[in-house]
Amino acid sequence: MISVTPKAVIDSPNKIDLANLSPEQVALEIKNLNLYYGEKQALQNISMAIPKGQVTAFIGPSGCGKSTLLRCINRMNDLVDICKITGEINLHGENIYGRHVDVAELRRAVGMVFQRPNPFPKSIYENVVYGLRIKGENNRRVLDEAVEQALKSAALWNEVKDRLHDSALGLSGGQQQRLVIARAIAIQPEVLLLDEPTSALDPISTLTIEELINDLKQQFTVVIVTHNMQQAARVSDQTAFMYMGDLIEYSDTNTLFTTPSKKKTEDYITGRYG
Amino acid sequence: MMKNSNKEQQNMNKWFRSGSPWIWLSAGGVSISLISVLGLLWLIASKGLSYFWPADIYEFKSINDKGIHGTVIGEIYDREFIPASQLAHTAVKLPPGQETVERLLVKTGNRELVSLDFRWLLVPEIQTTTKPEEVVVIERRTNGNFYGYIESVILEGKEVDITRLPELLERVDNFQEEIDSLQKTHIGAINYKIERTRLKERKYKLDNELTEDLAKELNGEVAALEAEYKVLEAELMGLREEIARDQLVVRAMDGQTVTINFEHILKITYNNKLNFFDKFLTFLEQISAFLVDDPREANTEGGVFPAIFGTVLMVLLMTVIVSPFGVIAAIYLHEYAGKNALTKLLRIAVINLAGVPSIVYGVFGLGFFVYMVGGSLDQLFYPETLPSPTFGTPGVMWSAITLAILTLPVVIVSTEEGLARIPSAMRHGSLALGATKAETLWRIILPIASPAIMTGIILAIARAAGEVAPLMLVGVVKMAPNLPLDGNFPFLHLDRKFMHLGFHIYDVGFQSPNVEAARPLVYATALLLVTIIVALNMTAVSVRNRLREKYRMLEH
Repeated sequence: MISVTPKAVIDSPNKIDLANLSPEQVALEIKNLNLYYGEKQALQNISMAIPKGQVTAFIGPSGCGKSTLLRCINRMNDLVDICKITGEINLHGENIYGRHVDVAELRRAVGMVFQRPNPFPKSIYENVVYGLRIKGENNRRVLDEAVEQALKSAALWNEVKDRLHDSALGLSGGQQQRLVIARAIAIQPEVLLLDEPTSALDPISTLTIEELINDLKQQFTVVIVTHNMQQAARVSDQTAFMYMGDLIEYSDTNTLFTTPSKKKTEDYITGRYG
Repeated sequence: MMKNSNKEQQNMNKWFRSGSPWIWLSAGGVSISLISVLGLLWLIASKGLSYFWPADIYEFKSINDKGIHGTVIGEIYDREFIPASQLAHTAVKLPPGQETVERLLVKTGNRELVSLDFRWLLVPEIQTTTKPEEVVVIERRTNGNFYGYIESVILEGKEVDITRLPELLERVDNFQEEIDSLQKTHIGAINYKIERTRLKERKYKLDNELTEDLAKELNGEVAALEAEYKVLEAELMGLREEIARDQLVVRAMDGQTVTINFEHILKITYNNKLNFFDKFLTFLEQISAFLVDDPREANTEGGVFPAIFGTVLMVLLMTVIVSPFGVIAAIYLHEYAGKNALTKLLRIAVINLAGVPSIVYGVFGLGFFVYMVGGSLDQLFYPETLPSPTFGTPGVMWSAITLAILTLPVVIVSTEEGLARIPSAMRHGSLALGATKAETLWRIILPIASPAIMTGIILAIARAAGEVAPLMLVGVVKMAPNLPLDGNFPFLHLDRKFMHLGFHIYDVGFQSPNVEAARPLVYATALLLVTIIVALNMTAVSVRNRLREKYRMLEH
């Protein structure tokens, strides 16, 4: 249970008190979330608040439900027929599972990047403006500007600025993943969900993406799922440890990795299982 | 010894285990298919193309078993050996020990003189065989070819020198062209307009809207058109007279002389004077005439242009109809229909539709489309022409629709396969950017699936272009007076009947009065049909390859 106190004291942008977040500091609030795949319960009573402008990491062994939780935030689980959800996720104080929510609208506000780079078989330019075109933006100048902005934010501009109209499939894996990030941020979402974004990449591309994540939190709230604890330690401000569909421990990254309060967390981060 | 056979056994086992026998077996399968396809093409190409090659004309002098001398002029069409016993009742004397006799089938033409334009000649009866240079082949509009010698050329009743032959032929040619254009284009258009005016009047009458003014106006229109018609008719008569001016006197093989009017002559060639190069030119000319001319003499002579046109038009119409329907059905089945038993049943039903015999589709098309739908359309929109039907009778539109239904399963199945092959990452990527399912389909899924859709269309074209049986019920005719596309509004006449190459083959080969003469035409038409289907397919394949290149997915 999270008690929200408006009197929370903030030392630095990176140091916040997770237990005492002011409403302005909260990007997303998850309340008593349960998720079932048919008979099987995959998430059990998850409650947490994800702070604005920070990087929050979900870690845990495979099958613990961290990706499932991430997919709840932009309702990608809707695509699974047998999936049933109870509880709330509040964005701007409004439940995204509410009755009158436009899912397309929600997904524009909560962007997502997947495990494997999935650029469309179109040009680099068309990939980046895809979301804008869906929104109905067709003004050439607006689009041009958005492409440059997004590609610069994704640290890809210098590599592709001379071949914007070549196929996106000609890029390397790491470039493709940055392109997909650029595509997601081109529509200016508030939250960016990254689902193991580096698991299909080589170490150097991974490093580039990690640096990029650090820059991205200036503009967006980032939620990242990773199976790599070092990565979580490197890029995130808060970390949530999940196990068997339960949220075991959620605190700022430093505390979680140095002085975990739960035995399970300690066992996991010291490599006793997982 | 024992050891040796053991070793052999082992080697054998090793050879089997290596998989080589299977490679040989599968390679053998491929070779047999390849050989049969090439053999088929070779057969129809050689038999079909030889029809256009100018043949040598022989003059045979023979004496038959009753001692009667005869002369036969013609081209050798076929030769075969028959057992000597068949000739036992005749007086043909054979050297002892010879058991077979060769005989020739000679095409002698001259249909107005002899009832049969083919004749068998026994080789032992032939006394001399010559290739006289002066013998000519005269291609005519009626009565088929004439083989013989030119006696004289008559211009306005007076004999003139034979060197003026080309000039006279050209004159007739020009007149004929003028007559054709006058008849088909101008007079045809006036007839069409008069008919439409008549129908308009009838329509007003049926609707009780025919006022006296209107009737007068319409009558005036008809009168004007009829006056125009009279002028053209007079012009036509004049041309007819002009064209009938000159004659050619020729001598046939039995010495009879025949006068042929120039207007009936298409071409005169001295086949035996031609060298190889000339023959090749004639060969090409004949091929192009075959492609662009209308058929003559109950389809056994002339070209096949209306059939080519009808086939291609019908296939294109079919493609235009089947593609959207097939794609939409596949999208529904794959993307929107619930994944339950009913969908499965539906899918099985669609796949099984491909196995229904095509003639059944023909019966269905005739019963449902032509009589029910077409009949109702006539009642609703064309009451003025009744009782003669407009759409309630077989026509090119019903043929295209019937074949579209026949090929629908092919398009649905391959489109669905294409949709299933698209990685879900593509859909998720698009949905995560705020696109709805429909937007994702339209902007991402369909373009990526387009090569698969093209594959379906290619298969549909290949199937439809070769289909004849259902068409015989819903629109194909032996001889269509007009093309379904012409210069009269509304230009594309979907209610018209049309000619089709596949049916043409059947008609020429098996329904014509002169099957022997038509045989090479059957091969030539078959070759043409194969060529057209291959051409249509290659076009579609190249479109698909371009799409594939564009939407090539990286191997993840």
